[in-house]
Amino acid sequence: MDIRGEVVAILDEVLSLKGRASGFSLDTPLLGALPELDSMAVVALITSLEERFAFVVDDDELDGSVFASLSTLIDFVQAKLNV
Amino acid sequence: MSLEAFFLPASPGQRFALLHLPEAARQVRAAVVHVHPFAEEMNKSRRMAAVQARAMAATGFAVLQVDLLGCGDSSGDFGDASWEAWLADVELACNWLLRRIDAPLWLWGQRTGCLLANEVANRIPGAVNLLFWQPVLSGRQFLQQFLRLKVAAEIVGGESKGVMQRLRTQLAQGESVEIAGYMLSPALADGLDKAELLLPHRSGRVEWIEVCSRPDAGMSPAAAARLTQWQAAGQHARGMAVHGPAFWQTSEISECPTLLQASLLAMSEAVAT
Repeated sequence: MDIRGEVVAILDEVLSLKGRASGFSLDTPLLGALPELDSMAVVALITSLEERFAFVVDDDELDGSVFASLSTLIDFVQAKLNV
Repeated sequence: MSLEAFFLPASPGQRFALLHLPEAARQVRAAVVHVHPFAEEMNKSRRMAAVQARAMAATGFAVLQVDLLGCGDSSGDFGDASWEAWLADVELACNWLLRRIDAPLWLWGQRTGCLLANEVANRIPGAVNLLFWQPVLSGRQFLQQFLRLKVAAEIVGGESKGVMQRLRTQLAQGESVEIAGYMLSPALADGLDKAELLLPHRSGRVEWIEVCSRPDAGMSPAAAARLTQWQAAGQHARGMAVHGPAFWQTSEISECPTLLQASLLAMSEAVAT
């Protein structure tokens, strides 16, 4: 599965980035850098990831570091899939 | 085509309703009751629901859209809503429409609206057909996601420890909690928590449509599994995925034309057979 491709597509869709996400590199900062990433969008993002990858996120696992950059978000998804 | 906006007397208060009717000369193909999604998802979906309702009316369907208790322009605040009251509202809407229109009944649910539609279909005598838009399979999972809005607000604000536990404790003690501007009552949280999309009324049919952001992707694995289970149990059910944005949760109001077309086609085929 192309995890990076899926994550980028979900980011782009949930945040209405109109294709901008496809230009993101791994160290592109997300939380605090993207004005679109507000609390509503954080939830939509987690929900979309859960539904698309069929895993369940425990709220204790969540803090700001998960959404720091594209690579931290991909690492999080990867770790969830490996459980 | 005509559009009537009115208040439907309910208990307590009244519900704001929109009735979309086909041209007078035309035979009505089906009576459709729309069941909207939850909280902010309803606002994001308002445009799509209106466009779809008009398109349905143009092709011969009578469509009733009702704002549930505490939602939209209906009586009460969100905090007054309970799951049971919403079920009663949907049933009221069905009975009202069937008294006016003599045609097969469809319940058109969206997200948690599918949970409500499905449960009401089991309560109503006679055949009820179901059109599902991106149904929520588990009310428990949805509630978790809704409560998470509060957790996310803390994440964006810097911290998040213990928020979820605090919310659950408050609800368990019978207190309402405020999430993203919505007061959530224990009665609503509890009903949602117990709601599960289970095999519906056998006599109707199910048209189940999911929206997917990737052009090549099919239905989500969880939805496909549930649908297969229903089909194996003898339920007349079809599922499909269309390509488009998740308009009920995107930052900006968006439209999904493929969903509109797929819904019309699915219902037209269903009515024709």
